[in-house]
Amino acid sequence: MKRFLHGSIFKAVAIFGLLMSLCACTTTEIDEFRQGETGIADHESIVILGRRQNNNYETEGSFVQCVANVVSSGSRPINVVGEQEFLDAMFPFFEPRTAPMRTVHLRELMDIDVAKSKMDEYGIEYIVWLDGITQRSEQASSISCTIGPGGGGCFGFGTWQDDSNFEAEIWDMDTLETAGSISTDANGQSYMPALVVPIPLIARVEANACSGLGDQLKQFINGS
Amino acid sequence: MQETKLQQHIPGIIKAASCFALVLLLSACAASTINISGSYPSPLVRKIPITVGVYYPEELRNFSFIEIDDYTGKDQYIINSGESQIELFNTVLPALFENVVMLEAPEAALSDSSIDAVFVPAIEEFQLGLPQKTKLKVYEIWMKYNMRLSNPDGEYIADWVMTAYGKAPNENFQSVDSGVKDAAVVAMRDLAASFTLGFSGIPEVNDWLRDNNHLP
Repeated sequence: MKRFLHGSIFKAVAIFGLLMSLCACTTTEIDEFRQGETGIADHESIVILGRRQNNNYETEGSFVQCVANVVSSGSRPINVVGEQEFLDAMFPFFEPRTAPMRTVHLRELMDIDVAKSKMDEYGIEYIVWLDGITQRSEQASSISCTIGPGGGGCFGFGTWQDDSNFEAEIWDMDTLETAGSISTDANGQSYMPALVVPIPLIARVEANACSGLGDQLKQFINGS
Repeated sequence: MQETKLQQHIPGIIKAASCFALVLLLSACAASTINISGSYPSPLVRKIPITVGVYYPEELRNFSFIEIDDYTGKDQYIINSGESQIELFNTVLPALFENVVMLEAPEAALSDSSIDAVFVPAIEEFQLGLPQKTKLKVYEIWMKYNMRLSNPDGEYIADWVMTAYGKAPNENFQSVDSGVKDAAVVAMRDLAASFTLGFSGIPEVNDWLRDNNHLP
């Protein structure tokens, strides 16, 4: 009896360990390119905006919000003005068709007195443009489920890969020049074994890209 | 005894389940109605010092678009955007012009001497792109408008075409209703943005504003 129990516990631990190791396979790479000195005072703010000019995709608002949450929390947090609040306040200058694409357009925009005074009112020191997408590939699945009078269950295996590529471009509102850029590339394989019940082992690719990019962005803007 | 009671209830349960299934079946066949709603911010621009009379045609007030199912040929989605279109213009026009007067008919401008020009917006085309049809990961809406500016007596000042485009990402577990609404709101903001920033740049409008010393 004791031997049977030991065997079962060993098997359960081995399966759990295997699942955990499968679940943890996400890699994140972050690159930073600095073009100027940065720093921010307590009373100053930044705004993080998603680029929405691409034809086939647009940067998801949920990802922009996630990065904003990371930047505005933890150690040395930075004041972040909400994306929608900023877009509404600056309407119509930051809509997909009218938003400045380069710093030369930003300089033209800051020549318009109503736009400049609104920007000053918010105390915006940096504008961060986020551009990117999470794509799913290498999907394979062979899960079949059955249900009958005596119960039901699933059997099989599914897998897919997620790849998150995001780039943050930081514009300095003092110099009206690009202060630098940070790019992140995260990818990971997710698995879904089904033994009676499907067990999703999801690689937190976009979440890792968000936290990695957010932390790096906070350091970049704080100047350390 | 309990079994007997349960047996008595079985026909009722079967009836209720049948009705539920029938309702589900019928609702699957009917077209879904999507009412576009949204609030729009007031544009951050300098007002043009003119009084504009505005007339909204019935077609704009009650504008609705029907998306046909490619396979069945039946109505798939009915998109009502008239109310939202009016809300958009009611927000944009008072921010762009010094005074705005609502008109019951374009001819009513003749009886108000303060009116400098009459503005009549009209929607000409509406297109919808659903992810299941376009195979893109976005909901898309494209609209074409005809804008007309005339003197109070009906004399032509300018007549120009404007297009608006909006897209919204097709996120996980998002309903079609929500995707279409989000794309429509983006499209209408796009219209408001290009109308506000481009109004004075329309050649005929610019000439008229210049000739009448109305440029801000």
